[in-house]
Amino acid sequence: MNDPVLPDEIISIDDDDSTIGPDSALVKRYFEDVATHYFKPLTRQWANPPIRFFNLSAQWEQETAMLSSITEIAMHPSYQQIIGMGPSAIPLILHEMTIKPGHWFWALKSITGEDPVQSKYRGRIKEMTTAWIQWGKEQNYLP
Amino acid sequence: MNEFEIEITFPNLTTGSYAITSPSTPEYNCIAWAAGDTKVWWWPDANDQYYWPDEIARDESLGAFKSLFEKLGYQRCETSDYEEGYEKIAIYVDANNKPTHASRQLSLGNWTSKLGQIEDIEHPFYGLDSPKYGSVAVIMKRSKQY
Repeated sequence: MNDPVLPDEIISIDDDDSTIGPDSALVKRYFEDVATHYFKPLTRQWANPPIRFFNLSAQWEQETAMLSSITEIAMHPSYQQIIGMGPSAIPLILHEMTIKPGHWFWALKSITGEDPVQSKYRGRIKEMTTAWIQWGKEQNYLP
Repeated sequence: MNEFEIEITFPNLTTGSYAITSPSTPEYNCIAWAAGDTKVWWWPDANDQYYWPDEIARDESLGAFKSLFEKLGYQRCETSDYEEGYEKIAIYVDANNKPTHASRQLSLGNWTSKLGQIEDIEHPFYGLDSPKYGSVAVIMKRSKQY
């Protein structure tokens, strides 16, 4: 039986992970294949905002990683679909920002109509992220 | 991002030598890197969320990007050849003449670029010509004494 082939935009497998053996890696791949297949239908994604967000953000990250233009990055169809998720995307974006920095500022400003970043911090990703996470806590989107 | 994905995006890199020269980071972009800044993302976005000097038009035109580098002491020049005593930058545009990228020349004549949100690379002048970045529209130079 051949190894399952996973769509890159759904799951990224760390093939360099030396902490698991080949049998465990195979089980992990099969599990991810089943999970991917289960969550692939759009109707199921729409019923589950975290899964929809995960799929869209993974595709967005992959396809905009080498861009410098914030306009191009924000106009990517997956990013626009995340904005289209409306308020349900806010806690998901903020949670993502607590894990790793990313250019979520355009989306947050578009959805919330707010911008807690002081002008002196424009373009400073760490400070911008900190300001939005603080905003998220004040608005009870984050613990 | 691995080298394979970089080479798929920029196939010209495979015909010369190039090297990844930094860790991946979203904290600065190619414009900042060309300007010598590794702390801030520079872009004239309409949302006014990213850094752009107040005195330069905040619009995504080649003219605005040229003005930016003129403010940093650069003047337009005709050749990408290395000239002793000068440092050079190159501005890339897409098919619609919109700026996409900037590179900076190194002292041995090779060029350095920050690739979006990922790594810096050292590369030949022609290495990044591609559908992703378009091609070089303007080369500018300034004295190293600047």
